[in-house]
Amino acid sequence: MAVVDGAVRGATIEVRGLTKRFGAVTAVDDLSFTVEPGRITGFLGPNGAGKTTTLRIMLDLALPTSGTCTIGGRRYRDIPEPARHVGAVLEATSFHPSRRARAHLEMMAIEAGLERSRVDEVLALVGLTADAHRKVGDYSLGMRQRLQLAGALLGDPGVLVLDEPSNGLDPQGIAWLRDLLRHLASEGRTILESSHLLAEMALTVDDVVIVSNGQLRAQGPLSILTTQAQSSMRVRTPEPGRLSEIARRAGYAPRPIGSDTLLVDGATPEALGPLIASNGVVVYEVVQVSQDLESVFLELTTSMTAPSESPEMARR
Amino acid sequence: MTEPALRLVRAELFKFRTTPGAWVSIGVVALLTGLGITTSFIVARHGVAHFGAPTTTTDLRRLMGAGYTAAIVMAPVLGVLCITTEYRHRILTATLLLHPKRSDVLGAKVLASAAWGLLMGVASFVMIGIMGIPLLVAEGGSVSNLLDQVGPVLPGMLAAYVLLAVYGMGIGTLVRNQIAGVIVAVGVTLVLEPIIVAIFSSLAHMDVNFLPTRATQALAGGLSARGPGGASASTAHVLLSWWLGAIALVVWGVGTTVIGYFTTFRRDVV
Repeated sequence: MAVVDGAVRGATIEVRGLTKRFGAVTAVDDLSFTVEPGRITGFLGPNGAGKTTTLRIMLDLALPTSGTCTIGGRRYRDIPEPARHVGAVLEATSFHPSRRARAHLEMMAIEAGLERSRVDEVLALVGLTADAHRKVGDYSLGMRQRLQLAGALLGDPGVLVLDEPSNGLDPQGIAWLRDLLRHLASEGRTILESSHLLAEMALTVDDVVIVSNGQLRAQGPLSILTTQAQSSMRVRTPEPGRLSEIARRAGYAPRPIGSDTLLVDGATPEALGPLIASNGVVVYEVVQVSQDLESVFLELTTSMTAPSESPEMARR
Repeated sequence: MTEPALRLVRAELFKFRTTPGAWVSIGVVALLTGLGITTSFIVARHGVAHFGAPTTTTDLRRLMGAGYTAAIVMAPVLGVLCITTEYRHRILTATLLLHPKRSDVLGAKVLASAAWGLLMGVASFVMIGIMGIPLLVAEGGSVSNLLDQVGPVLPGMLAAYVLLAVYGMGIGTLVRNQIAGVIVAVGVTLVLEPIIVAIFSSLAHMDVNFLPTRATQALAGGLSARGPGGASASTAHVLLSWWLGAIALVVWGVGTTVIGYFTTFRRDVV
């Protein structure tokens, strides 16, 4: 665990063989992954995939059935003054509705042994200075989310664990959060963010961890994951029948997606181009269709479990 | 006490200060004490009840201990609120993220509940000062005779507020649901205990003096045979001594809290 100016920077989150059972339901199943510092890691999975359970175990709010979860080589409970090292946003409801926003943060500052002046700093950082005197019960969901983030940043931690932090934020708020997280990651902090907003995650994260049914489906840099995923070639031609036959003979499974257009899954420009030329097929347009994060996500998680049957949903 | 643990206690007291529930409970204590003061001026003269200044030692102690009903009702409720609010509003998540050691968190809540319970007790005696004494003077009673009862009543009553708040926190730790916790705390005092006393004491002649309310009567009654708990002359002689009452309340408070810690407080926070 690297320590710079008294605060943890570059702490790696390691999940090893994590399993959590609730009675007969296995919410997390032998899950292992690593979250590197200086990067934003997206923790993705359908509802009930075990994301929140994993994060809660990571933060010592729940005990694992087996396996370990460490931050900078330590369990959360063994980190001295954890607020100075790990900040967390878990749900936008952890407030007393009658308590004022500033008082909520002051309460946290007292407990964490932080200067009260830090409260003003984080309120300004999340844009809540003008509303700090209001009761949290009067806050919108987006404002509560900002307040949660302020609490997470109170101790200027090197590690941020965020569960759906953009929930309730408007488009400007989401863009603001994206910029903030990018800035924090550029300072060398470790950021683990779970979300179901895949388009937003594709713009934000460097790495992804995809889980389904409590099991790891994929982990790695977003760019490699989407590049390695199966690409397709979309071909517009006046001879779709002939091209389809040629492609089938070459081992592909072309699909018509219009009267004059074929989609050839698994094909690359380098493979399909010569095939078209050598057979003298007339084409109007050839486009490589790469998979985006959403396609990869759906490919890895669809048909695993319907949300209503998922372990976390079943638990509730 | 370590510095982080001390911060926890300060944070818990800050939570009390910044939510209306704790202040409302003090207001209710003041109100109930006011009612107690009023009723303590209803004294018997030649077998007939009338409104007048209490003059006997017993009646003066009733006036000095006018906050007794408030203690047995509101102090446990405050303790229940101290812990169940954390569950109801999910503040426990934030608390444990800042201080993951749950035994420390629970210990801090015990101390904070005790401190706020003491404040409630002080509030009840403030009411004696601002309402009871002027009323006594107006009715021609002796303030000096009333102040003679401070020693026998005040320490035990304040201790009762403190220990009952801790006992309530123990109930809240066991029950977790706020409404259920309040119902249990009040229900045990006002409904269950009288039933138990009626069945086991009156019918089976069993010793029920270790029940929370009876222990409180013993503690808050000072050295009086008939203390502010209103124990009648026929039952007063079976109450515990004040220190045994204190021990009984400590056992109730610590016992429920420890059982609650091992059965519910260590559970996953979901």
